[in-house]
Amino acid sequence: MARFIASRLVSLILSLVVASVAIFVVIELVPGDPAGFMLGLNATPEAIAALRAEMGLTDGPLARYLTWTGGMLTGDFGTSYTYKVPVADLVAARLWVSLPLTAYALALSTLIAVPVGLLAASRRGRPADFAVMGATQLGIAVPNFWFAMLLVLVFAITWRVFPSGGFPGWEDGLWPGLRALTLPAVALALPQASILARVMRSALIETLGQDYIRTARAKGLSQGQSVRRHALRNALIPVMTILGLQFSFLLAGAIIIENVFFLPGLGRLIFQGITQRDLIVVESVVMLLVFAVILVTFLVDVAYALVDPRLRRA
Amino acid sequence: MSGLDVGGLSVTIHGTAVLTDVSFKMAPGEILGLVGESGSGKSMTALALMGLLPRGAEVDGRAVLGKTDLLSLDERAMCRVRGREIGMIFQEPMTALNPLQTIGAQVAEALAIHGGGARGAGELLARVGLDPDRIGPGRYPHELSGGQRQRVAIAIAIALSPRLLVADEPTTALDVTSQAEILDLLCDLVRDEGMGLLLITHDLAVVAGIADRVAVMQEGRIVEAGATEAVFRTRSHPYTRALFAASSHVPKRIAAPSGVPVLTVDGVRRHYPGPRKGLLRRGAPVRAVDGVSLGVGRGESVGLVGESGCGKSTLTRAILGLDALDAGQVALCGDAVMPPVPGEVRRRMQVVFQDPFGSFDPRWRVDRLVAEPFHLTGYPEDWRDKVAHALVAVGLKPRDMEKYIHEFSGGQRQRIAIARAIVIRPDLVILDEAVSALDVRVRAQILDLLADLQGEFGLSYLFISHDLSVVRSITDRVLVMQAGRIVEAGPTERVLAAPEHPYTRRLVAAVPVIPAGWITPQSA
Amino acid sequence: MRWPLSLIVGLALSGVFAAAALVSFVWTPWPVEGISVASRLQTPSLSHWLGTDHLGRDILSMIMVGARTSIAVAVVAVGVGMVLGVPLGLLAAAVRGSWLDDLVMRGNDLIFAFPSLVIAILITAVFGPSAVNAILAIGIFNTPVFARVTRGAALSLWTLDYVRAARVAGKGRARISAEHVLPNIANLLIVQGTIQFSLGILAEAALSYVGLGAQPPLPSWGRMLADSQTMISFAPHLAVFPGLAIVLTVLGLNLMGDGLRDLLDPRLRRAR
Repeated sequence: MARFIASRLVSLILSLVVASVAIFVVIELVPGDPAGFMLGLNATPEAIAALRAEMGLTDGPLARYLTWTGGMLTGDFGTSYTYKVPVADLVAARLWVSLPLTAYALALSTLIAVPVGLLAASRRGRPADFAVMGATQLGIAVPNFWFAMLLVLVFAITWRVFPSGGFPGWEDGLWPGLRALTLPAVALALPQASILARVMRSALIETLGQDYIRTARAKGLSQGQSVRRHALRNALIPVMTILGLQFSFLLAGAIIIENVFFLPGLGRLIFQGITQRDLIVVESVVMLLVFAVILVTFLVDVAYALVDPRLRRA
Repeated sequence: MSGLDVGGLSVTIHGTAVLTDVSFKMAPGEILGLVGESGSGKSMTALALMGLLPRGAEVDGRAVLGKTDLLSLDERAMCRVRGREIGMIFQEPMTALNPLQTIGAQVAEALAIHGGGARGAGELLARVGLDPDRIGPGRYPHELSGGQRQRVAIAIAIALSPRLLVADEPTTALDVTSQAEILDLLCDLVRDEGMGLLLITHDLAVVAGIADRVAVMQEGRIVEAGATEAVFRTRSHPYTRALFAASSHVPKRIAAPSGVPVLTVDGVRRHYPGPRKGLLRRGAPVRAVDGVSLGVGRGESVGLVGESGCGKSTLTRAILGLDALDAGQVALCGDAVMPPVPGEVRRRMQVVFQDPFGSFDPRWRVDRLVAEPFHLTGYPEDWRDKVAHALVAVGLKPRDMEKYIHEFSGGQRQRIAIARAIVIRPDLVILDEAVSALDVRVRAQILDLLADLQGEFGLSYLFISHDLSVVRSITDRVLVMQAGRIVEAGPTERVLAAPEHPYTRRLVAAVPVIPAGWITPQSA
Repeated sequence: MRWPLSLIVGLALSGVFAAAALVSFVWTPWPVEGISVASRLQTPSLSHWLGTDHLGRDILSMIMVGARTSIAVAVVAVGVGMVLGVPLGLLAAAVRGSWLDDLVMRGNDLIFAFPSLVIAILITAVFGPSAVNAILAIGIFNTPVFARVTRGAALSLWTLDYVRAARVAGKGRARISAEHVLPNIANLLIVQGTIQFSLGILAEAALSYVGLGAQPPLPSWGRMLADSQTMISFAPHLAVFPGLAIVLTVLGLNLMGDGLRDLLDPRLRRAR
């Protein structure tokens, strides 16, 4: 098991290195010079020269890449050109919105999808199954940001049970913050829950057809017992794959949903970075997002090995 | 009595009859062999007894175990019977166990579900011959071989000392030596525990070795039943006679081996990288084929036998020039076979595979399929005539060229595979388990066909098989392979009658046989 | 063979939107450039079936033209993904276990770490927003999807005896990939293509919504939704209809994918 984790860690680090190179190269492709790009057309040559020096653009690309990644490793993400504050501080503040939102949505999605998928699989071919399949088919087709707008229309504007946007911060306690994140989390979670429920259903149906379920039945386990004791854990493996993928969808989705609800999260930060041409912010936040996805992939791999003894040796 | 009494058992699935009026009795502690070809309804009979028929099945009749009619029980009551009164083991040990649970936990579950038994999981695993020091209860299924997994399945089935054990082809997926061990174990358990055993198999020799009584099934009916020896000696039903004739069938061969070598394999080695021992280190390479030499002469049939994992598949790939060699040489009529193999060398050799269903691209018509080897020689003007001839030679009709492969049965597909192999008139045909997947009567026909074609076209055959009885009936010489090496070689009759190497001796001893006295006097 | 109901419904739904997109080239109920402050924010009526927006433009006409953008972006993006991904997947399967296979698969994993939104953010930050960005971002993200599906399906075919038989008949890996492997996984690729197409429509809408996709004056469903957001309390129809257009198109494509799978793979139908 330790060897397995070590080998996954190595590939995690390799992925991070390659991804950071890819991001760095794309930013290098910026037409002209990043300093000129960021300052716009009206900038004086002196201002550009000053910024070039400040950004270290006078160094070669390799030196700059090493400075950037070396800084990231020590928590120094550079200084935002527009905000004049360390990017790390900006990101840390925003993370307290985006991360809870993603986790909230992931939890909701799982809590809805697993029982629903279980119900559909065990009532396969009967009305409950058809209802689930129909509802999830619709859920997959709904864009989350549009669903979010409808939620605002119903729950914030018509009924006024949830705020239509904004974020009070966590200083006033858990509840106001959670309340502000509820509609965004529901909007994010329902489409993903539809996908997850369908995966859960088909994975369960697949495992229920396996020989070891027949063995379990021949031991004297009832249908329900063989599902609980044998099928569920086996069906978990494909479900975990999808959960891992969903994390990156939710993270990306959160960036968009933050726009609907005017939440001060990473999404808002990155779009402000784009409009203000603050490449330092964009570069660092993108790297952070990619790091999160790669980290989750690693965690899913480890979780596989925890569930499935066949993988522990690899 | 507390045996099993099945009467008038009929099953339909979505309206199609799969069992019709099946009746048989089993005394306590008796072994009943239920034999028949695939699709005869053997497995359905077992599943009906267990109440595990697929959805859409309707059952009629009775199956009285002790005093209770199993068919009248509801699902709850049936759950109490399964595992406690009747245990069952299945054909495929590789998938029969939950891959995520230890074997001990899976045995313990059978006990827990019925409120515990006389013995614990560890004791049960030891009882079925799994040494606690080597294969303890903490092992996972993927760490065990097929035979060991089947032992675990048996431990689960006998956990509560049921009155009846149902075994559905329990040894079909196993090697011959594991088969012999599992059959011994089953016999032993039946005697010790006083269980009845319903042994379902396609293999008459397996039944002959251990069953007290036998019932022969065909198309969902029992056509003949009685004490094993009596049924085997008299064979009153035509179907039983046909099965017997086919299983001991020896094709007539016009054997004229010339001694001119067609295939020579000289000191071939093939290694695989060892298992990973760390991030960069690997264990010692696995020697899948470790210095094998053999030869096949013109018109000769040579058998290569060995159990799974002995390296015969790797050797086959090497001979076919699909993999590079690590050492040694393969030559066809004196020309080296080295990837990339030139067309003019490769055209002298063709192959027939085991699986009649995976051997053909489902999107191609038969004419295109059979003609594919012409890729090696260039398509002649009259290639369609040649394909038609090949089809006729294997007993099919020229108009079959227009059809797709799904329109043919397993046996017909194997004929088409042979047609594909001979259409460019190769010198050597490699038969890679070519008859293993076929029912016994179809197998006999294909062996006859192969013998005829050999006489007609002067073909040389290399038979690769795990089945000694097939090799016995059709080869001149046989080679026995173990752990990547040839351990014994010689004339087939001599090797199988008087094996010299200990491994060959074990192999030959493990093959179940019908006692010679039961077969010969075919009463009219 | 009988067509599954889902295929018929799916074809009908997506057919309606494809037809609307095509018709919009020659005719729309009202001109989409026609800004008319007098007729702004009208609710649905006989003359404007789905109402008008804050600039007095006809919503139905905008949805028809928007269908053009959505479908074009999604089709091109799926095309990019297929053209790049399928050959890579075939190659990886043909040389299974070699360094080339490893390279393709690790490359795939790497791209999977960049959700299409992140790719779009990067491209936009550097080159500015446009519909081409959306195509590139979605297309790049589709490539590993197709490569992975192709490789997985092709690998199981490479273990079949008919592929070995073709090798014994002297055929090379490229030829076998073209003759035996690709035709036998085409069904699967068509189904996957339909699914990716519907995901592409969703992704395009999301990118346009946050301003990383199609730019004005090109109408697009995502931007119509973005424009409607501030007016949702007094003109909810502005938000409802473009959203419904997305839902129905995606639903149609997904149903079509399910139906195609059932139609093209009878084994799967029986197994379910």
